[in-house]
Amino acid sequence: MRARTVRVCTALAAVVVLATVVVGVATGSTADVLAGVLSLAAVGVGFVVVREQPTSAVGPAMAWCAAAPLTVVLVEALAQSAEGASLPPGASLAQAISVGIWPLNVAGLVALLLVFPDGRRPGWPWRAVPVLLLSATGATVFALWGSRQVGGEVVGAPSGPARVVAVILGLALVATCVGLGVASVVQTYRHGDERRRLQVRWLALAGVVAAALLVAGWVAEGLGAPLALAYTPHLVAIVVLVPAAVGVAILRHDLFDVDRLLGDTVSALVTAFASAALFGAVVLVTSRAVGATSEVTTVTAAFVTALFLLPVHRWISSVVGAVVDHDRHVAVAGVERFAADVRAGHREPEEVQAVLRTAQRDPGLTLALVRVDGAWVDPQGVEVPEPDGVTVASCGVPIARIHLDHDTARARRRVADLATAAWVPIEVSRLRLGLRGAVAEAEASRARLVEAVAEERVRLERDLHDGAQQQIVATGMRLRRLQRDLDPVLAAEVDTVVADLEETVRELRRLAHGVRPARLDDGLGPALEAVRAASPVPVDLVVGDLPPADETRTVTAYLVVSEAVANALKHARARRIDVEVGSSGDRIAVEVRDDGVGGAPVDGPASLRDRVASVGGQLSVESVAGRGTTVRAVI
Amino acid sequence: MRGLRIVVADDSVLFREGLVRLLEDAGHDVVAAVGDAVLLRSAVAEHEPDLAVVDVRMPPGGTDDGAVAAVELRSAWPGTGMLLLSQHVELRHCLPLLGRPGFGYLLKESVLHLDDFDRALRRVADGGVALDPVVVQALVSGQSAPSVVGLSVREREVLALVAEGLSNARIADQLRVSDRTVEAHMRAVFTKFGLPDDGDTNRRVLAVLAFLEANSRP
Repeated sequence: MRARTVRVCTALAAVVVLATVVVGVATGSTADVLAGVLSLAAVGVGFVVVREQPTSAVGPAMAWCAAAPLTVVLVEALAQSAEGASLPPGASLAQAISVGIWPLNVAGLVALLLVFPDGRRPGWPWRAVPVLLLSATGATVFALWGSRQVGGEVVGAPSGPARVVAVILGLALVATCVGLGVASVVQTYRHGDERRRLQVRWLALAGVVAAALLVAGWVAEGLGAPLALAYTPHLVAIVVLVPAAVGVAILRHDLFDVDRLLGDTVSALVTAFASAALFGAVVLVTSRAVGATSEVTTVTAAFVTALFLLPVHRWISSVVGAVVDHDRHVAVAGVERFAADVRAGHREPEEVQAVLRTAQRDPGLTLALVRVDGAWVDPQGVEVPEPDGVTVASCGVPIARIHLDHDTARARRRVADLATAAWVPIEVSRLRLGLRGAVAEAEASRARLVEAVAEERVRLERDLHDGAQQQIVATGMRLRRLQRDLDPVLAAEVDTVVADLEETVRELRRLAHGVRPARLDDGLGPALEAVRAASPVPVDLVVGDLPPADETRTVTAYLVVSEAVANALKHARARRIDVEVGSSGDRIAVEVRDDGVGGAPVDGPASLRDRVASVGGQLSVESVAGRGTTVRAVI
Repeated sequence: MRGLRIVVADDSVLFREGLVRLLEDAGHDVVAAVGDAVLLRSAVAEHEPDLAVVDVRMPPGGTDDGAVAAVELRSAWPGTGMLLLSQHVELRHCLPLLGRPGFGYLLKESVLHLDDFDRALRRVADGGVALDPVVVQALVSGQSAPSVVGLSVREREVLALVAEGLSNARIADQLRVSDRTVEAHMRAVFTKFGLPDDGDTNRRVLAVLAFLEANSRP
């Protein structure tokens, strides 16, 4: 619509409303004044919407929602004035049509339903609605032409089959128009994007409340309340709540959690009606069938209702939630299913980020966890800067934060619900991350320790060779020089002493070798060659291509072989040992097989296992009684 | 017997001085006594001695600088024999020289057997070999390789002693057999290795070489 048209239409509605107030004051009709004043709210909202969306038909439609019934009121007032002495112009025409123009009451509402939330819908059924509504008005005006309203009663209504047909036709057309209006809103909801759906929800919220108040009015009327009291809440809801809801929908659709508001309202209303029905049914049954006194029936009914109220409300809430807030229901149910799968051990808690992404329909969603030391990390454990987003907490302490790519107030509310459902997987993956970190730290510290020990062994070996051994030999040399000046008896004694010193040197060499075989300086192959040489039973040694390895790994491989060979000799009573050393990728692969008695413990000697594990290797022992033992290690 | 002109290289002052005294007592002329591989090179270049007695582990590197220097010097000064001394068997850098003429490798405590040590010195200075039994053991231990050339167990034993640098008489002594038996074994070894008869020393060295090469091949 053109901006000018929009402004003129809205202004006209304002004129009608103000005129009603003026006329009401002039004729002393409190009801008209009240109706006009309340309608100002709708017109005000209409103007605000026009200011925000100057070319949208929603603003004027909103204003006319209130102004259309007031137009009818004005026409009626004009008709009433025909009773008086001085006739204002057009009074007789007004009198003729005043009873028949009631279909115009809904004109504003239907227009609003058709254009909500952002302008007219394309397509002929919707464009036909104004024509249909005018036809309906025409039909009823024709049917009721000339009748008058006197003190709330219609008098002088003409009769005849044509008029009856016209009345029925008018009613049917009005129903069709309202039906098309509702259909338009449903259509918008079903095919609209997320924003339109939200806006429709706001309208639906107001509609549901108004409808509920209408039903409540019926009930009140049935119970004998005065008409004005029974229907006033409904009318106020129509005149105040609907404009308010439309205003919020158009201007601030993200203001509150309308999904939840709508769901809670509907389920509360349904629960209320259900409990009322239950209460009534119990009263009926106990009083009629059992014939109990009224006190007993009331207490029984109250008890039964109280008994069912809470579970029924829960059930209704979930059913209503599934219908009214389908998206959230599906998303939360998906996350809850995942959490249940995690508890049952069918899925890994680390998948939680992917699950949240799917449920939130936000592929850019990222989950950051608070590590045990307080740093922010991604689900893989890589440190990240502190993100912004929705915080997940455990007893008030943040444990995670969910960052949204598509970040709106509504998305944050939604993801907070999902996070509640995914709390267990989030916390478990965070704790597992902490555990992994701790284990990695322990492994690293053990590796550092082993490395330090290896270095210490090298140093010790050097000290033994270059210090103690060297000094003993030097002392031996001095003795040899002294020996020349000694008599033969003492010289022979020195021979013995020197022989002892030599033996000490050899002993030190063996000791140093135990600390760290010096032949490892020549490489793993020559060092293993020495192991083979020292074995009393035949050892078949095959040394393949070895990967480049540091001191720690080389020593570990050497110790695995020498210890396995020693065990084979000591415990297995082997007659033959096969040793194979080669590479497995960039790791050293060691295999020692014997033909001994077998039956060795399958996890191997603890010292060896720890040593292999400390350099990130694996040790396995295969030993069946009577079929020998095979020790394998990958280092 | 004429004394040898010797350069001594060892970083341990205690051991070096002790060795120098022993060598001088035995009538040798120690022309230089140094404490690292760099000084060893210049001393050999300056004095061109008959023999250099070198510690394997020496500064500046502190690992096997002595062995590395010995290998270089051996080819640069063919007239100078190289005798390596070590606290333990560490052959990485001198493998190309093992069994070659004019090269020896002994454990340090060998110096305490004055006579044997003196003989080893003279052998190496003369272009012979001197290997510590432990070294030979390390090289040939448990190997089945000699079967390649079809040596018998006894022939292997004899050859291992030859590799240590022992004479036929001492080998006979050690194995408690007659000199003639040892000679017979050696002839068999020469034949099996296909070595021509052109002077005993050279042929013995070649046999030891062939033996060590056959054994040090993986």
